[in-house]
Amino acid sequence: MSASTRLRPPRNQADPRAVPWWTVQWLILMVPVAAAAVAAYWILTERPVLLGAGVAVFAAGCVALALVAPRAYYRVERWEVTDQAVYTRKGWLRHTWKVAPMSRIQRVDTARGPVQRLFGLADVTVTTASSAGAIKIEALDHELAAELAERLTAITQATPGDAT
Amino acid sequence: MSGLPSAEESGDAGWAPLSGRSLWASGVKSLVIVAGAVAGLLRLLLGRDWPVGGIVAACAGAAVLIVAAVLAYDGARLRTTRWRLTRERLELRSGITVRQHRSIPRDRVRSVDLRADPVCRAFGLSVVKVGTGEHAGEDDELVLDPLSKHEAEALRRTLLRQEHEGAASQDGPLAELRWSWIRYAPLSVWTFTGAALLLGGLYKVLDSFGLKGLAGRAASGLWDWVTAQPLVAVPLLLAVNAVAGALGAALLFAESWARYRLEREPGRLRLRRGLLTVRSLTLQERRLRGVELSEPLLLRMGGGARVKTVATGLGKAGEHETEDVAALTPPVPRALAAQVAARIAGVSPAVFAALAPHPRAARRRRIVRALATFAVLSAATALATLLLPVPWLWLVPAVALPAGLWVAVAGAASLGHALGERHLLARRGAVARRTIALERRGISGWTFSESYFQRRSGLLTVSAATAAGKGRYDVVDVGHGDGLDLAARAVPGLLEPFLVRDGTPARQ
Repeated sequence: MSASTRLRPPRNQADPRAVPWWTVQWLILMVPVAAAAVAAYWILTERPVLLGAGVAVFAAGCVALALVAPRAYYRVERWEVTDQAVYTRKGWLRHTWKVAPMSRIQRVDTARGPVQRLFGLADVTVTTASSAGAIKIEALDHELAAELAERLTAITQATPGDAT
Repeated sequence: MSGLPSAEESGDAGWAPLSGRSLWASGVKSLVIVAGAVAGLLRLLLGRDWPVGGIVAACAGAAVLIVAAVLAYDGARLRTTRWRLTRERLELRSGITVRQHRSIPRDRVRSVDLRADPVCRAFGLSVVKVGTGEHAGEDDELVLDPLSKHEAEALRRTLLRQEHEGAASQDGPLAELRWSWIRYAPLSVWTFTGAALLLGGLYKVLDSFGLKGLAGRAASGLWDWVTAQPLVAVPLLLAVNAVAGALGAALLFAESWARYRLEREPGRLRLRRGLLTVRSLTLQERRLRGVELSEPLLLRMGGGARVKTVATGLGKAGEHETEDVAALTPPVPRALAAQVAARIAGVSPAVFAALAPHPRAARRRRIVRALATFAVLSAATALATLLLPVPWLWLVPAVALPAGLWVAVAGAASLGHALGERHLLARRGAVARRTIALERRGISGWTFSESYFQRRSGLLTVSAATAAGKGRYDVVDVGHGDGLDLAARAVPGLLEPFLVRDGTPARQ
């Protein structure tokens, strides 16, 4: 039986607006890198053709990565909240699943960055007593996030014990 | 302690001062500063041919000033510090300029640590540290510095009192010092580096006393000797270093672990140790989340091991501590360590010996990693030797290959896991091998992670999150299905809804 036990994917995906939001984040990072490479080639070198091709490939790669990575992340990032536990999956090359039981949750936070707010998204962070146990559910619709945080807080407050 | 009033009833009464004998103790301790200051003054004044009487007067004046300042400070501190124990809380008011009021609920008290250095002991004093489980910054400890020895003992007993008080430990101490254990003391890296560090420190001290010339001459003389006769001098120096290190380690062992005794009282563990500074730590068993059997390489080769706790609310080691606060035993024979760990955890010692090994793929993965490191190092060396003619650089990959392979094989052999009645056991580590027995009810969540290469060889790393100790404990490179089954059985019910087993369709 053991060899075939697997984790099933959590039920829910991030909000579809996560894709444009992550794309914007990646572009903010990648466009300056690509631009700097092109500018350095244009200003500092004698513009040899071979190096030019290399720089062009590099710049195109940066932009392509910024466009592709968010879509890939969107496909692998999933989350689920049951009455007993919070369950998430993320990661592309390195898969990571996290499970935290309701009875051990100590704090629930929602966070909205400035750019994130433009997209109407929010993150929910669930903290347990362990310093290594925080679980982040990223890029939810902000109303859904608020509702989820409220529900989690209600459940955890109803659970006795000091959650250690 | 129903005799104690609650905070509301007692109002502002019941506040007690710290022990007044603290003044004597700090007076004696201030003499150390006096000695340092006098030495400095002497050095300064002897160079300026002052009359002897003047020098003596200056030194005496400095000494009086220092002692008076220390006594004044300590007196002010004692006057402004008050503590009290009510039915619900332990409270402390302190601060000479900035007033502080700290209070911890008594049901949050996890550990009580009594400590007395030789000066404190001479005056019958003890420093009490009360630890709570809070991780939030400096608030996890309340220090009463100092109380009289009797007050400290009484406070310890009151704070950690339980229903079945009085029932003495039935089965004798868990462990008691045997001086033969001192043979394990030098089995640590410090033995080989400690003596050199000590010499460095000595040089610094001589330097600050203006004897730099002397130290410098000695050092250059030594250097001349080493370069003249390296074949004699180098092994001799290494031997002296090792002997000095071993001696230092043995002395440190004696200071830390003399009078060592680990007892189980009902509901708590009590650890007493120390030759000059006497330490006594009491730990609530329900705050214990497991034990760790630690076998660093040198100690392991000597057949030794030590036991540490995995507990909530145990403070971090202070700066001047010579020993880890989590340590429950000194280095002891491995069989005894396993026995103590098993008795604390309430499992049979056989469990520690019979862990399930991990799949062969875990070993293959480590060997491949060692070979890849070797390949990269070789390529780098080839490149470097092309640019610089230094053939001895090839020593680096030549050493890295056998070392890497040894780490790979030993690391894979260390891997293991098991599920006890109440504990999850996991072992790992080539150089520092650790076996953790983590209480299953202390597990506050799971993380499963799988890198690209792990996925290809069907392996998984299972991390149990817990409030105690390091916060997470890993079962590394276990078979994918085995790891999930292990986690599912360790905390029943939590994982089941998220698992798909052979033949059962996913519940969507």
